[in-house]
Amino acid sequence: MKKGRWRIYLPFTLNEIKSNLAYKGSFYLFILCSCFGAFISYYLWMAIYGSSETGVLGGLTRNEMILYVFMTYVTSNIVNVGVVGYIENDVREGAVVMNLIKPIDYRLSLISKALGVVVYRFLAPSIFVWIGLEIYKVTVLGMKVVSVKDALLYLLSAFFSVLIYQLFDFCFGLMAFVTTYMFGLKMAKNALVGFLTGQLIPISFFPEVFQKVFDFLPFSSMIYTPVMVYLGKYSGEALAAVLLRQVFWIVLLYVLGTFLWQKITKRLIVLGG
Amino acid sequence: MKELKRYGRLYKVFVAQFFKYLVQSKADFFIGLMGFFLTQAAGIAFLYLVFEQIPTLADWTLPQLIFIYGFAQIPRGIDHLFTDNIWMVAWWYVVNGQFDRYMLRPMNLFFQVICEKLQPDALGELMVGILLLIISLSNGVITVSGTKILLFIISMIAGAVIYTSVKLLFASFAFWMKVSGPVLYTAYQLADFAKYPTEIYAKGIRFMITWIIPFGFVAYLPASYFLKPGVSAWSTIGVECVLAVVFFAIAYGVFHFGTRAYESAGN
Repeated sequence: MKKGRWRIYLPFTLNEIKSNLAYKGSFYLFILCSCFGAFISYYLWMAIYGSSETGVLGGLTRNEMILYVFMTYVTSNIVNVGVVGYIENDVREGAVVMNLIKPIDYRLSLISKALGVVVYRFLAPSIFVWIGLEIYKVTVLGMKVVSVKDALLYLLSAFFSVLIYQLFDFCFGLMAFVTTYMFGLKMAKNALVGFLTGQLIPISFFPEVFQKVFDFLPFSSMIYTPVMVYLGKYSGEALAAVLLRQVFWIVLLYVLGTFLWQKITKRLIVLGG
Repeated sequence: MKELKRYGRLYKVFVAQFFKYLVQSKADFFIGLMGFFLTQAAGIAFLYLVFEQIPTLADWTLPQLIFIYGFAQIPRGIDHLFTDNIWMVAWWYVVNGQFDRYMLRPMNLFFQVICEKLQPDALGELMVGILLLIISLSNGVITVSGTKILLFIISMIAGAVIYTSVKLLFASFAFWMKVSGPVLYTAYQLADFAKYPTEIYAKGIRFMITWIIPFGFVAYLPASYFLKPGVSAWSTIGVECVLAVVFFAIAYGVFHFGTRAYESAGN
């Protein structure tokens, strides 16, 4: 990538950070809402572990499950930042034309915008929840603070996850060119993603056959992988394998997105465009 | 009485209008239905996976939890079907001045808001709810009797009224805040807590969802009357009905008061 390209796409990112700062009120309420989900799972899991005789479920101890629930929250907060909303708006308002005649890559401009949201959410609240969790870990659970190596590996894996999700969301978002009813589709997507990424329940709870199938889908690479990396569940070759799989999905979804975009812009008709 | 007849007739006109729109967009209808269906299916799959590992959850069996889960969906679905337009007041109608057209017509404002739209996607919620109740009943979690069926219907209606009241109350804040969507969304999300037995939560949360925003009385508490012997109907479904009436009165009062404070957006 040439150096100059950063200058073109960086403003998209910065603008998005600024507009997020401007609408702080609704942003914090949104955060509060997503916290509800984390606390519901926390209490639910505590009740589940309380009812279990073994103390280890799906390969996770009770303490690990607490970490899993909140790290999933931290991770999904930064990963589940899609581009479909932008595409939907652009298509509905016909603004997509403006993007086609400008000498910029539409997908790259969208992802730059989304990265602005990611940065903002990483700073508020993800990093604070993470720090809080580390403190809780040491003081209440009596565990060690995460090692620098695991933390860095987690950040790397989470960054890959961000890219996978956005590239996937771009492919999905192209549906907006085909149907006008994205509300129902988005809901279906969120349900599937929430379930298959391990957000709702760790993948290790699924029967073997399902786990094998999930290996061939991009979803577990979005949330489950970074969280398990954080928990130190992979080492050596296994670690390299899951990270490589993430890279593989980035490449594949990138190519797929390019292909679909070419197909769809060919048949595009814009009213009054 | 004449008034009531007039509103009945008007509602029919509005609904007929809506059905015309619906047949026009069948694909959308099925996409929406699928969206709701998948969301709920994921929640149930979660319970199934968990119960692979444990025999009971806080002394509740899987069929019992499915009953509570399904029980929670129906009032939500009913409310969703009939009063979905309240969301538009919270997000758009006040801030962009569209509420004007309601003010101009010689009709009850609340009636106008809700009759403008039916949300057919909600049928997805209702279907899932009924399906789950059938599954749990076929597992014999409760013995059906005439009284229970009657109380069940009453509880569903009261639950739907509680949902409507919460929505109306928070949407009415838009008259002062201009946009109250995020606040309403936050309050509405609290309902998710009520899909599971509330005794698993910390005291503060339990108090909040029982008495402040009473979603606990929409699902778990009335459902426990059907599931557990010795739980009295008065302390569950009885209180639910009282709360439904009180909350609706408060919400309607705030809404009414809000419409007086409403000022249109200038152009």
